Amino acid sequence: MTFSEFILRGVLAGSIYVLLAVPMSLLFSTVRTIDFAVGAYALVAAAVAASVGGVLGIAAGLGAAVAGSAAMALIFLLLKRFGCHNHIIYALASFGVATALASAVLWQYGTQSFVRDSFSQFWSLAGIRISPQGVLNLVTALVAVTILYVVIQRSQLGRMMRAAAVNVMGSELAGIPVELIQVGTYLVGGLLGGIAGLLILFTAGLDYSAPLSLTLSGFAAAIVFGIDNPFRALFGGLAMGVAEALAAGYTSGMVTSMVPFLFLLIVLGTSRFGDATVAGDRT
Amino acid sequence: MTFWANHRNTLIAIAAVLIAAPFVASRPVWLDSAVILGVYALLALSVGISYGQAGILTMSQGAFASVGAYAAALCSARWGWPPFTDLVLAMLLPAVLAYGVGRVVTRLSPLATALATLALGSVISIYIRHADDLTGGYVGFAGIPAIGFIDTPLEYAVLAWLLVIAVVYGYENLMRSAHGRALNVLQQDQARARADGIDVARSMSAAFALSAAIAGIAGWLYAHYVSVLSPESLDTNISVTALLMAVVGGAGYVLGPIIGTVLFDTLTRLLPAAELQGLFYGLALVVILLVARTGLMGLGEQLIGAARSGLGRRAAPAAGLPARAAS
Amino acid sequence: MTGPAFDTPVPPAAADALVASGIEVAFGGIKALAGVGATVVPGRIVGLIGRNGSGKSTLFNCMTGFVRPGAGRVTLGGADITGLPAERVVRAGIARTFQTPRIAEGADVRTAVLCGFFNSAKTSFMGSVAGFGAARREERRLREEADAVLEGLGLADLRHTEVRRLSMGLVRMVDVARCIASGARFILLDEPAAGLTQAEQETLSRQIRDVAARGVGILLVEHNFALVRSLCETVVVLETGRVLCEGAPETVARDPRVLRSYLGAVGESDEQGEAAA
Repeated sequence: MTFSEFILRGVLAGSIYVLLAVPMSLLFSTVRTIDFAVGAYALVAAAVAASVGGVLGIAAGLGAAVAGSAAMALIFLLLKRFGCHNHIIYALASFGVATALASAVLWQYGTQSFVRDSFSQFWSLAGIRISPQGVLNLVTALVAVTILYVVIQRSQLGRMMRAAAVNVMGSELAGIPVELIQVGTYLVGGLLGGIAGLLILFTAGLDYSAPLSLTLSGFAAAIVFGIDNPFRALFGGLAMGVAEALAAGYTSGMVTSMVPFLFLLIVLGTSRFGDATVAGDRT
Repeated sequence: MTFWANHRNTLIAIAAVLIAAPFVASRPVWLDSAVILGVYALLALSVGISYGQAGILTMSQGAFASVGAYAAALCSARWGWPPFTDLVLAMLLPAVLAYGVGRVVTRLSPLATALATLALGSVISIYIRHADDLTGGYVGFAGIPAIGFIDTPLEYAVLAWLLVIAVVYGYENLMRSAHGRALNVLQQDQARARADGIDVARSMSAAFALSAAIAGIAGWLYAHYVSVLSPESLDTNISVTALLMAVVGGAGYVLGPIIGTVLFDTLTRLLPAAELQGLFYGLALVVILLVARTGLMGLGEQLIGAARSGLGRRAAPAAGLPARAAS
Repeated sequence: MTGPAFDTPVPPAAADALVASGIEVAFGGIKALAGVGATVVPGRIVGLIGRNGSGKSTLFNCMTGFVRPGAGRVTLGGADITGLPAERVVRAGIARTFQTPRIAEGADVRTAVLCGFFNSAKTSFMGSVAGFGAARREERRLREEADAVLEGLGLADLRHTEVRRLSMGLVRMVDVARCIASGARFILLDEPAAGLTQAEQETLSRQIRDVAARGVGILLVEHNFALVRSLCETVVVLETGRVLCEGAPETVARDPRVLRSYLGAVGESDEQGEAAA
């Protein structure tokens, strides 16, 4: 395989990371926390879609993923009502939701791997064999990011979101429904996570043990170029896909599987991410 | 008298173990559970030190335990080290690893530190899966010998709970020292800690290293008891479980993690299907975060406090209460 | 006279003085300090006054290692400590208090003071875990020393009282006790009188004077000029990042520039919050 082939494959594979990274970035901007359950939403969507089948399955899968994120959003609201303003507690709670969702899938469907084939034909582009599903993944990611871009940059809702992300108290005083926006962000996370899960279902497949590493991959992609901007997550996701493809081509399988985690460790070790001013203080 | 005042938690742990011992010893199945429960209790205690005292939400305890476990396996089965000498390596290796990583990530926000521990755990478990020569890779590692004369489940159960008591004792010593107080201060207020002359990153890393060493003990015990290891033996799931046990029991209290371990274990036995374990654990975590963020120990302390003031007694000093580690 | 408690002349730049000179700090292009300095001598109390935003807290933070100056030097007995992290500055013998005392409310007074002894504890981390005889003896010694510090400040009776039950004045004294516990030869007080009643202020100034009498150098950042006047023999007045004037409180109080800039604004004295905080 050639270098350009690795790059192309990497970009196609990276599109799934994009879909996982964008919700991380959105949620971090508006709530300053992490939803560890994003990977679990993906699993739930894939499992439900695989068992129901067809277009109805896809709808049911997305519905289940959003329902999962709605549960998380409800827990977030309840925590706030009970006077908890600690971002790490929100993250911890999402950890519980992730564990519970993965366990529910395990209980319902067992340890099977969820994988479906969508296209039997392959396309050839300048001599490189590429899967149509990969192209579909990339198109989906691009469409999702474009819609987000239009909403955030051009709409009234987007302006309110940006305001809420920058200054919670000021936005509340200005009558912006900050809490509603935060809940909405959790739900968007469910939707995008669900879409990512469906694409994985038709690409490499996944099983009940996947959620946590999916979440972590998404987060790694989200912080590479700066977490505060969901559009940078696009490039972060693609970069991680390329890095993984190159690692697969030129190094061992061990390094390839480590790529997302090494990415994360290196970025955390070298950046100022998580400076007290960026991510709240240690209280 | 002073021992009672300074080591209340140790004495409570000893008493609880002594009370439970006759019942457990009467049933071979329970003895087996008692060993595994001891392994979990050690892991949950290690979370207590890391998260409850140093504020590092750790998700790599399973990985540290597996480092300890494979160290034990290699030393005893392959290199023929005498019994117990491998424990040193099983503690030292995770501790050094944790200290090094700690120095880099503890200057980050708590959330970023948590993610870094999760990534570290994943890297370790991927390494174990691929290092065929050393760990046996996916196939695993079999034929790990027993620890010298310790052979029966009863002996392992005794060893496991002696280790738990020893860890509780050391934990209490730490919390009654300048270093323990430093952890309490820096967890609440890093600026204050620096004004006390505390090197925040160093103190946190030291606590993280200690917690990794305790996880290493758990792995060492597990490896010798079960005698086979595979990459799934002590994976991220174990890290998550240990974290949930500690938080639900009360990560800030010395005995909280043990209470969480015993509770989770008991309730798991009542579940209709083993697959539901994660669902139950996750829900338990969410409920405890909503109802009592300081865990069951914190809830107990509040209830006792409320009962006391309700009875109109004078506000007694912390004496009769389950001691908060800071006391 | 209600003024300075010391009538001996200030020794010129004593060998073991804490000296800041030529300190410059900029926050995002705005110069908070443009070449200011202050000297604290053991056993003496120096006042640092100025309006909100004059840069006194920034200078305070530079001298305690919480802010790294862009230019200038901080020396302790001639040794350069500029830009050392706060925890190393404390180890060098310079302790600080906080305007809003940062003391865990649930802990008792002795525990709060014990936290100050972190530097003098010799036992290693792992040694503390093992809890051998040496560690236990040290813990006993620290408790005795903490009691002695509390005794010295007349707080011995409060040793088992929870910090949350104390008045603000007493909490500030506990904070001072914690500084003494750290073995500090210099204590920098950040607006200790803020939020205190008149009676509490008087008690506090008496205790501060006692501490100084034992050879500790004190820098007092204050809004309250009356307190500064009663305690300090030297006052440094800052305005917009520069030293407006420096001298004995009586001289400073008569300085027309000070009258215009600062004393005219005494009404703001209970305002909280500093530009640099």
